[in-house]
Amino acid sequence: MATTPLLEAQNLAVRYPNGELALHNVSFTIKSPSFMAIIGPNGSGKSTLVKAALGLIKPFRGTIKVLGYDSVKQASKIRKQIRYVPQRDRIELAVPMKVKDIVLMGRLLKKLPPRIASSKDIEIARDALRQVNMDSLWNHPFPELSGGQRQRVLVARALAGEGSVLVLDEPLAGTDVESQDLIVEALGRYHRENDVSIIMITHDLNPIHTLVQDVLLLKNTVIGIGEPCSIMEPELIKKVYGPTAKIVEHSGHRYCLTRDSGFDRHD
Amino acid sequence: MIDIIQVIVSSPFLQRALFAAVLVAVIAAASGTFLVFRGLSFMASGVAHAALGGTALGIFLQESGLVPWFDPILGALLFSILVAAFTGYAGESGITQKMEVAVGVSFALSMSLAVFLMYYIPPYRVPQIWGYLVGDILLLNDFDIIMLMSTAVLLGVITLMFNKEFVYVSVDMEGSVAHGMNARMYHYAMLIVSALAIALATKAVGAILVYAILVAPAAASNELVKSVRGVIFSVFLIALIAELIGLITSFVVYVSPSAIAGILAALSYILALQIRRVRERVQTEIEETSLAPEDLVETFNQSITIEQKGDHNHEH
Ligand SMILES: Nc1ncnc2c1ncn2[C@@H]1O[C@H](COP(=O)(O)OP(=O)(O)O)[C@@H](O)[C@H]1O
Ligand SMILES: [Mg+2]
Repeated sequence: MATTPLLEAQNLAVRYPNGELALHNVSFTIKSPSFMAIIGPNGSGKSTLVKAALGLIKPFRGTIKVLGYDSVKQASKIRKQIRYVPQRDRIELAVPMKVKDIVLMGRLLKKLPPRIASSKDIEIARDALRQVNMDSLWNHPFPELSGGQRQRVLVARALAGEGSVLVLDEPLAGTDVESQDLIVEALGRYHRENDVSIIMITHDLNPIHTLVQDVLLLKNTVIGIGEPCSIMEPELIKKVYGPTAKIVEHSGHRYCLTRDSGFDRHD
Repeated sequence: MIDIIQVIVSSPFLQRALFAAVLVAVIAAASGTFLVFRGLSFMASGVAHAALGGTALGIFLQESGLVPWFDPILGALLFSILVAAFTGYAGESGITQKMEVAVGVSFALSMSLAVFLMYYIPPYRVPQIWGYLVGDILLLNDFDIIMLMSTAVLLGVITLMFNKEFVYVSVDMEGSVAHGMNARMYHYAMLIVSALAIALATKAVGAILVYAILVAPAAASNELVKSVRGVIFSVFLIALIAELIGLITSFVVYVSPSAIAGILAALSYILALQIRRVRERVQTEIEETSLAPEDLVETFNQSITIEQKGDHNHEH
């Protein structure tokens, strides 16, 4: 059965107002539904690609479509389907939000003003927090959590929302092992049990490589695309992460060693 | 005490001053709170000084006969809207630093313009411009009060209706847009309505008091209070109390009520910082005593697992 692709880029280029060409000649297709990872080192244009897909930045050249909708002309259609968690440094901590306020945001943003939380919204939000083991901190001030706990709450915000595509920008950045495991498990379970696609940006594929179906390897353009193990080629990885990057095999899976991510965990 | 009440009842100046104090506290609660949330407290002073530049332009247009009907207050409102729009444009992506630069540039521009125009307007009208800096809450007329009240009510209603949207724009602009909220509209609405209110409050009570009352209580509350509503309410109370004490003091001794209110507002922030520091110290002490054993276990476990992993690495 031919379904509309999750992501489809054609000759996409994105240029920032300061002249920096963050992406060029980007063309690829990812089928839907998928659990996909976008990987690449810092500054490789991962966040830029996602922002272009959501219509937050206009392409300089070419197009990108989400579920068949053009990111510029049909942005509002895309946004109905999206649950987005930006990179964590984009969340302003000077506002005294409670944990529950952040999670409910995922649902209330899709409503019209006055955006009142119904008892169903609250129940779903609580359940999402339970998935990442944060439900006991429902009333806790969000800015006072640790980095890993904040990421867990933000992932819960995506889990609590509605829409068939979850987009998470570096949800594992700055997390300890415990938070990382909880997030990866929660996302994997959510993907198995629901008819949704997950697009996850990460600079370390190792914690999720057994879960993801498609991997897009970026360095300002597409370096590789395919299943995790086909991306984990020494040649490709060295091209992106430099000559010190290595691939190791262990119990049937390949792991990537880059200086960027430290040593991986074996489960 | 009864004397004071009698004075108030019999003096329209005092009545207007008290009413203005309440209105300025409303503006502080609605506008100052969100400016501090967004790290934009600087905008309060930027807009206040832009209003001054706009007034200078208005007086110049009137006196030179170029546009005789141009009331200086129109200039003040126009300039404050321009500053808000410019700041908003710089901050569409949600980056605070860019907005700060925009405020700084418009601040410099409008002050320079004011000083430039002062050479071309009759000297007897220059104090009207400086009035925007120091202001006097005891010298308000009915028109001032009506203007101030209209914007305070407008600002209050908009903030009540859209406080969630304003919070979302402040917390996560990108996420709000990506989920389909018209974040840009709320972003501009918040800045422009705030700017209008700040400009009129500046005309009423002076730039320096506006700055003190808009920023310090909000910053103080944000150190201590842990919910958005709580902060808004607490700002209103601190601002109102500071202004009332200022007014009352000015009756007992010969001082400017604005000066007292400004000093009290600033002190509230220093006090809040102290309270927070003490609170944190107490908290860490509790944590240190109660969590120490668990921490040790944790560290111990971690060192074991790291060793295991280390072995693993060597094998492969
Ligand atoms: N707002 C911006 N203005 C100018 N350049 C930017 C902006 N955001 C990102 N860039 C540049 O675009 C490139 C890609 O950035 P980004 O997409 O954030 O990379 P990644 O998410 O992979 O770390 C980088 O070189 C970065 O410096
Ligand atoms: Mg990024």
